[in-house]
Amino acid sequence: MSALLEVEGLVRRFGGVRAVDGATFAVDEGSITSLIGPNGAGKSTLFNVVSGFLRAEAGHVLLAGRRMERRPVYAIARAGLVRTFQTPRTLERMTVRENVLLGAVRHPGERLPLAILRPGSVRRRERSARARADELLALVRLESHADALAATLSGGQRKLLDFARVLMTGPRLLLLDEPMAGVNPTLRAQLLEHVLALREHEGVTVLLVEHDLELVMRVSDSVVVMNEGRVIATGLPATVREDPRVVDAYLGTPP
Amino acid sequence: MFLQLAANGLVTGTVFAIAAVGVSLVYGVLRLVNFAYGDVMTFGAFVAVLFNTRFGLQMVVAAALAMVATAILSVALEGVLWRPLRTRRAGFMSLFLASIGLALVLRQAIFLVAGPQPRSYDVDPYKVYVLGSVRLSGSQGVAVVVAIVAIVLVGIMLGASSLGRVLRAVADDRSLAAVAGIDTGRVVVLTWIVSGLLAGLAGVLAALVQSSFDPNFGFSLLLPIFAAVVLGGVGSAYGALAGGLVLGLATELSTWPGFHGGVNPVYKPVVAFAVLIAVLLVRPQGLLGRARTL
Amino acid sequence: MSTIASGEFWAFVGVVAGIYTLLGLGLQLEFGFGGLLNFGHVAFMAIGAYTMAILVVKAGWSLWLAAVLAILAAALAGVVVGLPTLRLRADYFAIATIAFSEIVRYVATNEDRLTGGSQGTINLAATGEAASYNGEWERFQSWLQSALHLGSKDATMLVVVWLVALLACSGLWAAGRTPWGRVLRAIREDEDAAASLGKNVFAFKLQALALGSALAGLAGCFYAWQFSFFSPNDFAPLLTFFAWMIVILGGLGRFFAVPVGAVVFGVLFAGTRFFDFAPFAWFDSAERAYLRLIVIGLAIIGLVLFRPQGLLGRREELVLE
Repeated sequence: MSALLEVEGLVRRFGGVRAVDGATFAVDEGSITSLIGPNGAGKSTLFNVVSGFLRAEAGHVLLAGRRMERRPVYAIARAGLVRTFQTPRTLERMTVRENVLLGAVRHPGERLPLAILRPGSVRRRERSARARADELLALVRLESHADALAATLSGGQRKLLDFARVLMTGPRLLLLDEPMAGVNPTLRAQLLEHVLALREHEGVTVLLVEHDLELVMRVSDSVVVMNEGRVIATGLPATVREDPRVVDAYLGTPP
Repeated sequence: MFLQLAANGLVTGTVFAIAAVGVSLVYGVLRLVNFAYGDVMTFGAFVAVLFNTRFGLQMVVAAALAMVATAILSVALEGVLWRPLRTRRAGFMSLFLASIGLALVLRQAIFLVAGPQPRSYDVDPYKVYVLGSVRLSGSQGVAVVVAIVAIVLVGIMLGASSLGRVLRAVADDRSLAAVAGIDTGRVVVLTWIVSGLLAGLAGVLAALVQSSFDPNFGFSLLLPIFAAVVLGGVGSAYGALAGGLVLGLATELSTWPGFHGGVNPVYKPVVAFAVLIAVLLVRPQGLLGRARTL
Repeated sequence: MSTIASGEFWAFVGVVAGIYTLLGLGLQLEFGFGGLLNFGHVAFMAIGAYTMAILVVKAGWSLWLAAVLAILAAALAGVVVGLPTLRLRADYFAIATIAFSEIVRYVATNEDRLTGGSQGTINLAATGEAASYNGEWERFQSWLQSALHLGSKDATMLVVVWLVALLACSGLWAAGRTPWGRVLRAIREDEDAAASLGKNVFAFKLQALALGSALAGLAGCFYAWQFSFFSPNDFAPLLTFFAWMIVILGGLGRFFAVPVGAVVFGVLFAGTRFFDFAPFAWFDSAERAYLRLIVIGLAIIGLVLFRPQGLLGRREELVLE
């Protein structure tokens, strides 16, 4: 397998603190890779740098060999690297369906002249986008809420909405920031199924930050362990679990 | 010529600075961009006119009474306007708009009561201080000294006293300060008192320096004051002083003929706005302020 | 003096409300959709009015061509202002735009040779000659008046302004419902979320600002035509605040709320002229002018305090924050 995402020597400081301090790892195409580490290990900062929300002070981020670290957030997303947020960024005063429709990429109707002239291409694209959005809403069991304002959704439903929205973009690499936190066990199992199905059927690669280690060990093809801004171990879940550095830094006792 | 302009700049700058500290303090504690501040200054200047020319009181006494009046006005407005808005969880935009409405009400009320004619204080217009090649009018001389003393006092208060520590704590994080047992309601009132006193002082001094002023004059000073606040870094007293000075000097010195013939003096306010926009673009955290992380 | 019953007077109020509608529509697009706190909106109106007048008087252009260029100039000014400032924090953007609008007013006041200076457009031509840019407009107006069998010039203007205003309103309403409008609304809600989904937030904001400024430029042209003379002080920051009040009065996020807000505001503003009962009877007409602005100021405060969703808005949709 070849690497879809390569992170090389990434550095990001806040004040004097090196939140990410030379992190290096790779995510294989078609894999589910988990990023784990104790609180304050730099996982969130790393996510923010990789997705373009924070500037890297040194190092590279390569997506399929192309450098991303100097691109703006939207360009990184268009290149196929799309993220979710720890707390879902729900667009509350828009409907649930509109939230998902926003994920449509290269939509000609988002260009003002075309939006006004409404040529057939715009109408066709909007129709297919709606069909896809409704499909995704059905997938996350939110179809009955499609026309409600997103503000009416519960916390767990918002996570699902975020998930449907990023799927709408047709990503190559999905960065999921604690997708299971705050989601009830039933939904959790479903969400997990979706992630696995996604990789299976659409070849999407997933990089995941997750605190639930039992889950991480079960679904991941590969695990990256961070501590104090550095990557201290990478490998198969079983190998990482036994790695003494990881045990020291984080696990304490193997789960 | 250059020194004279620099001296004028110093005078304007220190007066801007006092007002800038007042604006900055309120922004720091309440996150309110107070668009009515210029008109509160006007209110102070007119109260002083009342006591000085109508009742024949000494300028010093009139100025002190004006400061008390602006402080009372500020606290009263906290009670009838700002606190109710905060309890309704009004955001930045609501507060900003409300302050615009308030500015309108204050200014027009001053017009209504005092009339549109220009006013001036009953002070000796012929008194001049001469320092080498620099000549300052009596008003300018007094203004610059008083302003510097006031800023040093405020700086000491904010830096050293327990009141200052409390104010800074609330400015940093209101809810955290409340958890730490600070009575934020009392701090807010204190903030309004200090900012009101400063508005009164700045209004009187600016009016003295201009020698003649009408009810519009405070509003016309507002944007340069905002510029000084932004320049100095929002929420910092010494920053506001530095911002005021830089701005005062920049506007006055821009007219210096030695600098490409100088800017036409009618464009002095434009220089201030241009400096403001330039600072926002190049150094939005201000000259002395530190960049905030996200 | 006109009386409260005078149809002519109310036609005039209606015309002004129509012009305010155009001005307010620009702000509604910028803030209600793009989330931009533009407090220098009046500058773009001034740029529109001055560009039109200068091209007609000084360059001898046709009024219509000049008007098209004036609207483009206002839009271009929006782009030029937006390029550096749109990346600023919301409060700094607000202050930067109001500073820009004051710069425009100072330049118009002091560049006598370009703008006629503080005396206004009457000074646009050579000294000793009263300049007018309005001849072509008045010919058009009287032609239309007789063609439509309308009673007065003001009535004709009323029809023209409101036709344009409602067209603009419908156009924006339609644009707001397209995928383009959807992205703008998303940016207003959460620009990070929009960017993370691949939307070029900056480009959308710039488009909103350019389009909003073009509408202000159009409002400036109508303002110039209605009053056949203007000076820099017609474009004081107060007018921007009026436009804000109209948008919030009507309700944020709805284009058709703008004409409602403009009419209510126009009637309130003009109607207060006729307050001849106590306590207003105690004041002379100059003093009543101050009172009217006090009433407007209090209305802004009251609106913010008691009805931040406006007349037509719904609380759960978009409320002033």
